[in-house]
Amino acid sequence: MQTEPGPWPTEFPPTEILAPSAPHDLSIRFTGSGSEYFRIWIVNLLLTLVTLSLYLPFAKARRLAYFQGNTLVGGHALGFHGDPWKMFRGYLLVLALGITYSVASRLSTTAALVAVGALAAVWPALWRASLQFRTANTSWRGLRFRFKGSLNDAYNAMLPAFLPAVLMVVLGLNEASRATAGAVPDVAGATAERMGLWVGLITLGALAAAPWLVARIKRYQHGHYAYASEQTQLTASTGAFYGLSFKLMGVSILTMLGAVVIAMGLAIAVRGLAVLQSVFSGGGMGAGAGAAVAMAIFVGVAAFYLAMFAVPGPYLTSRFQNLLWGGTRSPRMRFRSDLRLWPLAKVTIVNLLLTIITLGLYRPFAAVATARVRLHAVSLQVDGNLDNWVSTENARMDDAAGDLAGDFFGIDLGL
Amino acid sequence: MSDTPAELHSSLFDGRQARPVPVRLTLIDGALLIQGDGVALQFPERQVRWPERQRHGARIAYLPDGSTLQHADGPQWDAWARANGHREGHVVDWMQSWRKALAASVLLVAASVATWMWGVPLASHAALAFIPQRVDASVGEQAIQSFEQSMLLPSKLSPAEQAAIRERFEQAVQRAYPNGSAPHWQLYFRTSKNGAIGPNAFALPGGHMVLTDEMVALLKDRPDTLVGVLAHELGHVQHRHGMQMVVQTSLLSGMSALVLGDVSGLVAIVPVVLAQSAYSRDAEHQADEEAARALKAAGVPPAVMVELFERIAAERERQHKDGSLGNLPIALADHPADADRIAFFRNYR
Repeated sequence: MQTEPGPWPTEFPPTEILAPSAPHDLSIRFTGSGSEYFRIWIVNLLLTLVTLSLYLPFAKARRLAYFQGNTLVGGHALGFHGDPWKMFRGYLLVLALGITYSVASRLSTTAALVAVGALAAVWPALWRASLQFRTANTSWRGLRFRFKGSLNDAYNAMLPAFLPAVLMVVLGLNEASRATAGAVPDVAGATAERMGLWVGLITLGALAAAPWLVARIKRYQHGHYAYASEQTQLTASTGAFYGLSFKLMGVSILTMLGAVVIAMGLAIAVRGLAVLQSVFSGGGMGAGAGAAVAMAIFVGVAAFYLAMFAVPGPYLTSRFQNLLWGGTRSPRMRFRSDLRLWPLAKVTIVNLLLTIITLGLYRPFAAVATARVRLHAVSLQVDGNLDNWVSTENARMDDAAGDLAGDFFGIDLGL
Repeated sequence: MSDTPAELHSSLFDGRQARPVPVRLTLIDGALLIQGDGVALQFPERQVRWPERQRHGARIAYLPDGSTLQHADGPQWDAWARANGHREGHVVDWMQSWRKALAASVLLVAASVATWMWGVPLASHAALAFIPQRVDASVGEQAIQSFEQSMLLPSKLSPAEQAAIRERFEQAVQRAYPNGSAPHWQLYFRTSKNGAIGPNAFALPGGHMVLTDEMVALLKDRPDTLVGVLAHELGHVQHRHGMQMVVQTSLLSGMSALVLGDVSGLVAIVPVVLAQSAYSRDAEHQADEEAARALKAAGVPPAVMVELFERIAAERERQHKDGSLGNLPIALADHPADADRIAFFRNYR
């Protein structure tokens, strides 16, 4: 087949020489650079600001094209097919909805409740549309991904998550009608107590069910990605999600204890120094000592927050990614994810500190560093010769409103 | 340019099979020619979505028929495209030059400052024009109810005292706003639970104005100054400052989330809080102007307001000595520096 002589791009792996069904590993590399993304980001940001945010979809298309074009899976970059003009139309729609919601929720409680209700009602559909848009506009080796989850299943997956909120609203309405029916002042205390009990019970129930809810949602999401004739499924069990929650709780408690000890140690040390200083300078425990105590408290609190940010956060991120992507597979494809806590924690701390010091200018570097450490931990094992894989349908997905809605309301692909 | 070949060896993916097909690309007179084993395609250059020039990453060109050209060596692709007359967008050129990107950073700072100083106030003014007054009324109604429940008690002033204050203020309003041009207002005499808000007066959207007994007591022998205080609050009502705050907060938090969003929700609040106190200084100044105008119209020298600041300062001093800190009047806490305001009332002509 290769009749062409001369300099040939050798970056593509010679897949032909492999045995037809031998499983082989494809590494995932991220080649983006912080300094280059900084320039893209700053120009995008300026254009977004001077156009009163109307440039946002164009900026987003460029950002996705950059990140995906720099994500090499087995040597082949991911393509981003989104049409910025279509995304722009979607953005206008979402902007109108968002402004209406924001204004309504500030003006009247009833309007806010109605808006939240309406949003909740369409939320699973928006979520699914956003997943469809992102997958259908991403390609690898020229073939587009697809998301095959049905609308019904999207509602099924998400509905239990709404239950606590619905219970709270019902409880509130119930109490309100009781109060108007016969308001006896003496009962006010008892009412508050009963309300507190119910709210506590509902919250506790929601917390206990949270891992199950997350597992349900992720099973829908990771169970319907499709590529060529493959469709993924999530093999991680619900028990694994519970296991992760318990471990996270343990790690959080340990970190908290450790942080408190360190913070107290720091505070005592600073205070001790101040006392020594006041003794040697001959004065009493005056304003200097007071300032030192305030300083010690500040240092202690800062250390505490930093520790909480640096350990449990990256712990959850890394273990969650490993659980999700390590459990995502199709008949001929298996992902593996081995994201370690320490590399991610290091990146997270450096990102936070430098972003604060540079008043936000470090953010593009942070985004690139995070993407690199997270993507390099993932690899893909494939059976057979990818060259012969064929797309089963021609996927085109142009519903950009769904994507921007997802972005607007904080949903993304999770990797 | 001469050492860049007119022909580029690259790969074509047809969008149906995951197999790269080796092809040769040429760009002639605005047309892209793609030739390879069993492949002969031609597209107008305009219909191809070209990859943007970068230092890193692969180049993927999107062809109108759904297929893609993929080139792993990005700089090689860029050199070929440029040598063969492909024109890139201004934005790309901008993003690839450090000098221009740094200029963009400076512009960004300038644009942020301009947005802060003029953009947000202008935009919120424009937005206010589209919000009907009855929205103010309903917002104010809810706000006053929540204040009543959480921190206000009925006034201990006698009805006669209340009527006297009300009448004096009404007369001043009639002179300052002739032909009934005054905004709708409603005055509530209240005292705060546990003296939580001390000597104070505040206005809510829709014209609800609350005056505390402590403020009346503070200015017992200075009825004209009290009229000035109420005229100040009426100024807030007239300029719809309460609603303006609502709109500005929404705008700013949206913009701040855009810029600092993924860093931390907490960090994103900082600019909003900073800007709010800056804007509230402007609003206070505007309300002061209305107060001075109203006093002058009523034939009272606006300098009577100086007494208010002195007494508030004395009150603050007294509380500081008592150690009852934290009892500072809320509405006065973020008022502009007293000295500026005193100078303003003293010099008002």
